[in-house]
Amino acid sequence: MTDDFEGLARDLKVAFARGTGEPWTEEVFDAWATRIFSYQFESNAVYGAYSSKRGGTPSTVRHWHEVPPVPAAAFKALPLISGDPELVQRVFRTSGTTRGREGRGQHHVLDLDLYRASLLPNMRRHLYGGGASLPLFALVPDPLVASDSSLSFMLGEALATLSDGKGAFFVDEGGQMEREGLRQGLRETTSKEQPVVVAGTAASLVHWLDWMTEVGERFELPPGSRIMDTGGLKGRSRTLSRPDLYRQLSAAHGVPLENIVNEYGMTELLSQYYEVSAPESAGTDLEDRRHVAPPWLRVRVLDPITLEDVPAGQPGLLCHYDLANAGSVMAVLTEDLGFEDAAGLRVLGRVAGAEPRGCSLAMDALLSKGESR
Amino acid sequence: MTPFDAFLLPPGCERPPVYEVLELPGGASIRYPVLPADQCESLLSGLEDAGEALGRTPVRSLSRSIGRVADRLLDPADPLRAEALEMLAPTAGISPEMADSVLAGMACDWTRERLDELLDREFGSVDVLDAFQPRDGGRMVRARGPAISFHVGSGTVPGVGVTSMIRALLVKSAVLLKPGQGDVALPVLFARALREEMAELSHAVAVVYWPGGETELETMALERAPVVVAYGGDDAIRSLRARTPVTTRLVTYHHRVGVGLVGREALGSDRGSGVARAAAYAVSMFDQRGCVSPHVLYVEEGGQVDPMEWAGVLWNAMAELEVELPVGRLHPEDASAVHQVRGVAEMREASGTGTRAFHSDPGFATVIFESEPDFVVSCLSRVVYVKPISDLVEVPAVLKGVERHLQTVALEGSGDRRPALAEALARLGVTRITPFQEVPWPPPWWHHDGASVFAGLVRWIDSEETPSYSSTCSSTRHNTI
Repeated sequence: MTDDFEGLARDLKVAFARGTGEPWTEEVFDAWATRIFSYQFESNAVYGAYSSKRGGTPSTVRHWHEVPPVPAAAFKALPLISGDPELVQRVFRTSGTTRGREGRGQHHVLDLDLYRASLLPNMRRHLYGGGASLPLFALVPDPLVASDSSLSFMLGEALATLSDGKGAFFVDEGGQMEREGLRQGLRETTSKEQPVVVAGTAASLVHWLDWMTEVGERFELPPGSRIMDTGGLKGRSRTLSRPDLYRQLSAAHGVPLENIVNEYGMTELLSQYYEVSAPESAGTDLEDRRHVAPPWLRVRVLDPITLEDVPAGQPGLLCHYDLANAGSVMAVLTEDLGFEDAAGLRVLGRVAGAEPRGCSLAMDALLSKGESR
Repeated sequence: MTPFDAFLLPPGCERPPVYEVLELPGGASIRYPVLPADQCESLLSGLEDAGEALGRTPVRSLSRSIGRVADRLLDPADPLRAEALEMLAPTAGISPEMADSVLAGMACDWTRERLDELLDREFGSVDVLDAFQPRDGGRMVRARGPAISFHVGSGTVPGVGVTSMIRALLVKSAVLLKPGQGDVALPVLFARALREEMAELSHAVAVVYWPGGETELETMALERAPVVVAYGGDDAIRSLRARTPVTTRLVTYHHRVGVGLVGREALGSDRGSGVARAAAYAVSMFDQRGCVSPHVLYVEEGGQVDPMEWAGVLWNAMAELEVELPVGRLHPEDASAVHQVRGVAEMREASGTGTRAFHSDPGFATVIFESEPDFVVSCLSRVVYVKPISDLVEVPAVLKGVERHLQTVALEGSGDRRPALAEALARLGVTRITPFQEVPWPPPWWHHDGASVFAGLVRWIDSEETPSYSSTCSSTRHNTI
């Protein structure tokens, strides 16, 4: 007997509510994952047919590793809904560039409460030091104006719940940063000795740092303050390595390196990873850091050529199994590279060549009718 | 494995103090020098001097010497061929079988016979490359290459660098070649062998790989060389164009794509298996990285086999060819792109939109049948789209929007519609129409992207000793003095 979405989501919320601290055993995760696979196989005809073609059906899948993943690009190609499309509460869209004819990725979310149940405890643990309701200064647009941004949604939920409504969004609808407002906010919180969470994309943080340098601003945020960055650093006006970004963020805000945390997430997943320091490194050695998932999110690292699991410590493509994706598709094969060892997952970034290869490249700009400028 | 030295500096050049090593997928690595400014300077002046000396060498003796190296590369008993084959596969990321095919296909166009034919076709009398020659009336003409030309190769189509080098040497230009990352082996080995053939050539060729751009050597070479020849993606070409002086002749071969057209006349009694084999070859050669490689095949409805069925026939042919000519060691991002594209195609197939995905694991050969006619850029590595079209004459209209990047059109089975179709494709902007089998191997005298391969390399000098009063224009003008 297969689940209905409502019952499945209710059970998942109960499971997520047990918190992120205690890891789940392989058996517990496997039971959940195979249950969700059976549900998705039955309720999502497209995914069911796709899985069958790849040899994965509820009767053949013995272990969550055997659940066929969909490519992340599939979110750009068609709606991935496991359940009643009429009940979709929100469609989140990827912000990235469009690739050829394919548009932005879309994640149809059937139950925003399930999304909240996944993101909030995880965020509380990694960004709020487990408890205190720190104000949140978000360098992204307000979810009210960017209702299709999953990052804005996450930070909006955090602000409302984990920050008790304290804080603000400092990027307007048009993508302009309200730098004076942010400066004022940080000055006030500093004078009140109130620690804060500053969260933004790596690109917005670089932009903010550039402005601080320009106007000669610098903060000494109260102890306990944290900075969260997310997203890539490529293709921006100024290219900065992550260690350099962290050092500059640390120096400009008076926040120790161990309190600067990377979030690894994507619109296609309703659960996120946060980067933590190895206990012995005190957060100063960024190479030692690992991305940690909540118990309901697991990863396989796959050989880019064969898609077989690689041995521990070897780099490969990251394939995520996110139970919070119960209403869409749980297993997602990304184009991100990383490796997993005893300490955890280390994300190495998007696969990319050192230089373009082939005089005939699959190039995004090709269809832009000749020279783009 | 010892890194392959992705450079060859002329004899007498000082040993560079610093080297870098670049790891390639599959365990191979290449080593390249980082030249300080003073060494760049002496390298470039040395090449300029050698170019002057080369200018005094008869063109036929150049084609003879170059041709001898080609003969060696084609001779199964020659150690040069063995070394080329050994180095080509790991450095280019292609399979040994593909390396064999690529070397054979490329080197046969570098033989003396082919080069002399190229020169004859392009210059008429090649003597114009050696001295002024009378042409008509009192006019003398001469064709000269620059003393030095700078060549920037692209990616992983091995052979492009040597071809560019040869074109320049034939017009007596010394060459600084920066090969593409996957095309380092052949130019280094070729240049080394040239030294043994002819003293004049030993100082006239330098091959140096470096990743990215804007190194000291690149900046200086762009400033110094009167002619720059560049192959690469649009971004790479844009960057070079921005950094090249206005007085420099810049010959560019930017990003290009190919398509194939299969008409009903080719889909007859053999159910299109003959044309499928040829198309499989065109797609699979160079693992589809050539500017000539097809991305989309338009297949006409109304033949004995329908386009979707033919897609399966094509995939069988590609899968068979993958056994014979295996795919190389792909970069992670290329392999990843194939997995994403295949997965999306399978999801579309599952959603019942008329898409069919033909592939198998392991193996990279993939055929995606889609009913929408719009052009799609393939992720390459042997992934090709098949699209049905009710009549081939509709294809030029469908390709509107890609015409500036379109180069080769493989055309078969169009019957007596061919002349009209060729005319329409020419109007669109296509520069080559050819059968599938010929797609990977344009002859040396092809109009590469629409122009003579020497067009940007040589300067023509007209010398008129006496006024040509015979012409109506001249007499009219002079009467007014």
